[in-house]
Amino acid sequence: MNGYRNRFAMLALQNAPLLLFAVLVIVFGLMSDRFLTPVNFLNIINQSSHIAIIAIGMTFVLLIAGIDLSVGANMYLSAAILGVFFVGMPPLVAFPLVAVLGLAFGAFNGFMITQLRVAAFITTLSTLFIGRGIALYFSGNKMVPFSKDVLTFGRTAYLGIPSAIWVFALVLIIALIVLKMTTFGRQVYAVGADPDAAAKAGINVRRVTFAVYCICGVCAAVGGLVSGSQVAVASSTFGFQKEFPVIAAAVLGGTSLFGGRGGVLGTVFGAVLIQTVENGLVMTNANPYIYPLVISVIIFIAVFTDSSRTTVLERLERRKIRVEPD
Amino acid sequence: MTSTDVTAVSKPRAQAGWKRLLLSEYLVLVLTVFYFAVMWTIVPEIATADTLLDILRAMMPLLVVAIGQTFVLIVAGIDLSAPSIIAMASVVGASVLTGDGGYANGTGFEIIAGILAFIAVGAVIGTFNGLCTTRFNMPSFIVTLTTMMFFSGAAIWYTTVHTDASSIGNLPRGFIGIGQGTFFGGLPFSLFVVLVVGGAAHFILSRTVYGRWLYAVGLNPRAAAVSGVPVRRVIFWAFVISGVCAAIASILYTGRLETGTPVLGQRILLDVIGAAVIGGVSLFGGKGKILWTIFGVLFLTVIDKSLQLMGLPIASVFAIKGSIILAAAVIDAVRHRVLVRG
Amino acid sequence: MSAAASVSAAPAAGAPLLEIEGLCKSFFGVEVLHKVGFTVHAGRVLGLVGENGSGKSTTMNIIGGVHQMDSGRIMFGGADYRPKGPRDASKQGIAFIHQELNLFRNLSIAENLFITEFPKLVPGLPFIDRGAARKRASELLAAVDLDIPPTTLVNRLSQGERQLVEIAKALGAKAKIIIFDEPTTSLTTRETDRLFDIINKLRQQGIAIIYISHILDDIMRLCDDIVVLRDGNLVGKALKADMTIERMISLMVGRNIDQLFPPRDSAIAAGPPVLEVRNITQRGTVKDISFSLRAGEVLGVSGLMGAGRSELARILFGIDDFGSGEIIVNGKALTKPTPTVCMDNGMAFLTEDRRAEGLMMEAPIDHNIALSSLQAYAGGFAHKIDSTRLNADVSKMSASVQIGARDIANTLVKNLSGGNQQKVVIGKWLLREPTVFILDEPTRGIDVGAKNEVYKIINRLAAGGAGILMISSEIEELVGMSDRIMVMAHGEIRATFERGAFDREELLRAAMWDGIRSNAK
Repeated sequence: MNGYRNRFAMLALQNAPLLLFAVLVIVFGLMSDRFLTPVNFLNIINQSSHIAIIAIGMTFVLLIAGIDLSVGANMYLSAAILGVFFVGMPPLVAFPLVAVLGLAFGAFNGFMITQLRVAAFITTLSTLFIGRGIALYFSGNKMVPFSKDVLTFGRTAYLGIPSAIWVFALVLIIALIVLKMTTFGRQVYAVGADPDAAAKAGINVRRVTFAVYCICGVCAAVGGLVSGSQVAVASSTFGFQKEFPVIAAAVLGGTSLFGGRGGVLGTVFGAVLIQTVENGLVMTNANPYIYPLVISVIIFIAVFTDSSRTTVLERLERRKIRVEPD
Repeated sequence: MTSTDVTAVSKPRAQAGWKRLLLSEYLVLVLTVFYFAVMWTIVPEIATADTLLDILRAMMPLLVVAIGQTFVLIVAGIDLSAPSIIAMASVVGASVLTGDGGYANGTGFEIIAGILAFIAVGAVIGTFNGLCTTRFNMPSFIVTLTTMMFFSGAAIWYTTVHTDASSIGNLPRGFIGIGQGTFFGGLPFSLFVVLVVGGAAHFILSRTVYGRWLYAVGLNPRAAAVSGVPVRRVIFWAFVISGVCAAIASILYTGRLETGTPVLGQRILLDVIGAAVIGGVSLFGGKGKILWTIFGVLFLTVIDKSLQLMGLPIASVFAIKGSIILAAAVIDAVRHRVLVRG
Repeated sequence: MSAAASVSAAPAAGAPLLEIEGLCKSFFGVEVLHKVGFTVHAGRVLGLVGENGSGKSTTMNIIGGVHQMDSGRIMFGGADYRPKGPRDASKQGIAFIHQELNLFRNLSIAENLFITEFPKLVPGLPFIDRGAARKRASELLAAVDLDIPPTTLVNRLSQGERQLVEIAKALGAKAKIIIFDEPTTSLTTRETDRLFDIINKLRQQGIAIIYISHILDDIMRLCDDIVVLRDGNLVGKALKADMTIERMISLMVGRNIDQLFPPRDSAIAAGPPVLEVRNITQRGTVKDISFSLRAGEVLGVSGLMGAGRSELARILFGIDDFGSGEIIVNGKALTKPTPTVCMDNGMAFLTEDRRAEGLMMEAPIDHNIALSSLQAYAGGFAHKIDSTRLNADVSKMSASVQIGARDIANTLVKNLSGGNQQKVVIGKWLLREPTVFILDEPTRGIDVGAKNEVYKIINRLAAGGAGILMISSEIEELVGMSDRIMVMAHGEIRATFERGAFDREELLRAAMWDGIRSNAK
């Protein structure tokens, strides 16, 4: 009897974010007839794509129990350089260059963390300041308008699907392949589960750590590019405090801050969930001031259920000395 | 003794001196003084009484928040919600105080009621943070991240309920005096508040059972629990203290600005954590002193002021500040390795 | 070498594979290995025995690349061997199966087997060939007789199964030497039998095995060569045929037991009960534990690792909860014990893992000693500590337990030797003047001199009227120190022996009782 109830509780806990999502969709759907339409659905994905892309990168970092607070600054720096210096460049050259810039930013973080052994939190906190400072310098503290090419890219749809979603899908597929299908991807999980054991098993922990921050840097820059192409100008608050919704999306999707648990699919789900809530609130004409309140409550509920689940699991996994009949 | 002998002897001694300085807890203070001296030659205005007073005034609220944060950092937690507590307390407190239909307006107790409202907001949010981390085993980073998002939004929403303007003004004179007033001919009144808070915090950390418990929990929570330390209670109170400290800082900020503003303190979070870490407080718990936090805040404030005096644009201020925090962190990492090697 | 000739299946069997000469190693200025040398042969099992702290683990850690030797020389397959790290060692063909298994519980068996060297879809590209990984994993698992799909998460495996996965991993890495460190401590008898079958199979394939264990019967059953270490010195090296369990024990202990264990005035040991335990049961850990501990008595608790001794101690001290039963301390029933409640009733608890649960390694000696007693030295609204009184008592305590450091306010505990660290923990509890002291492995990992001093402290405490519950894996220590010995196995008390009726063999037999097999009958 008790076993069944426990199992049911576990099932509910395990799928809490999904349940939450279903409830929200039903509630919003009942409240607004514009909400449950294919157009709106595409719109939600489109709007969530830049957060989702950056959050995919963040997931790699969180999987090894690291953190990157500098993604917002990285995003802004990439966008500012794109808008100021790459004006005449064809997109096929400019866009990859932006990604390379992001990579360099991430590599700097990775270098400080792995070679100089500075804590990830402090490293990325500093590069947050430095990155924003350099970006503000380039932009002259003014709005940075993007070139026509960038805007065209942002407005174009291929096969009826906006380009942002294509980029998002591409990043997601690559991330999935890397995490699930390569040695490096499996090593990311191993390092996150137990870095000492990973080192003993012969994994180059420093290299994995370094790579993970590079990946996060690339994703942040690509996210900045996608977001920039959608909003047309980068103001001086572009990307400001974006690290928080990005981390929230990953955590909402079941990625643990302590490493070793989670994945990019969950993260994407988390990003879409946040955007769905925001969109639903708009559709139902809710007071805009309560948007952040609702979203933070939802993140809180997700983390709360996740912690409860972990507590329950830990109790279940406590080492058994005696084998007792069930 | 020939001259070569002298150099041969003094060289290792000089090295030992460097090493001692590197390992000294006054390193940050020495760096600040050194920086100040260099700046003096570039912008002589930095050493005028007015500037010094300015630095002191700018330091005070930041210091109160950083002191609260130090408690949480010592138990290996982090409190990202401090800025939102400052904002929320500011608008709630102002809504009690304001002459434009404040809750306590005209009762004669409005200042006391207002101050209590500030403190209560800090205590309630701190309590919530503490409960979630200790009772539900949620990571403090995420708990305080969500409270930060929630109350930043809530502060703005609360303001819209009370006024059409973006902030709540018309605060009583007596209250504004807390943030702006002076005593002993020129010293800011906020200095008095900070001395009380800092003194109490120093006393708690260095002289009381609770202080020793805080370090024990930060250094090794399992050993602390086995040794009879009420680990959960210790962590819980650290968050409450941090919340109340943020609320006190909010009183100082609000008094200085003469209005309750929901965007107050938005950008100080990283300064606060940065200052504590520069001072030598460890993010991994168990290490920190009020004195260190004071040095860290002083260091950052002096840098801020000097960059401002040099007329640098915000861009350079950001970049230089970030580099300095990073450099301090690198020095700390090096220092750690020197210590390990012995 | 006649034994080697009989193993003719493997071509290289009997050839010297690893030759160790004059191995020395010191930590923090304390020499833990002194000129140790022995030879490991292909196709043979070498048993390495010695007490805790005798240098077994250090030797193996040097071979496994975890530590570097200070001086000495190791030849592996005829070439100079000096591994740069664990990875280097495993590349060269040495697999080290640690007591705490080195598996990632969030990954599958196959992923654990190939975590550094996955089979690739296309050579040169990083993509994993999952099919091939599964197939090769199945083959490796078959080699260790483990019939479980390789896609199973390690999380779901039993301890014994995880061990077999580790061996499969060593086979996958083409190991020439496999080191086992106490592999059977958390295995059932059946799992142990299975492990030995596998080891015998490996031996026939020409793989060299180094087998470390406290269970001397297993050593006699399994090994071809036996090496005995004591206090960092090699004290015995022989073929199994020339060795007996008795000889191993005398080599390991190496001194008159009366010398090591200080005499006790057992006439005092008949006080009133200070701790009474009635029918304590907790699902999955302990069952029906009842005993009583009298004032002035040292009650030893024996058993193999994983017998539930530490778990019982943690329940008694209120760290873990229990399902049913009663704990009565000094006549008072503790209905909901927590460490604080237990301490207030006069209990103290020295945990088995002093690094994780006993000490603040980054704090000075005096702060560690004071930690449990702070409230007794504090008063007033703010609980201000009377530091003059506290410091005076702490220094007195540190002198009385003979911590060999002058500056207790500035010496960090992490810089002390194991023995001194343990004395710091003991000092911390003695400052509270406990009436019930639970000691879980009080002499683990400390040198002989410090051991002797710890024993003296225990005797002094018992003479002062405290009841002492002493858990230990070293039977000699229990025999030398206890008034009574209780033996646990599978979470139950199997037998209790009175002083005078102590018999090593009986003790061991009781500890080896296989509860699961008997239950299943």
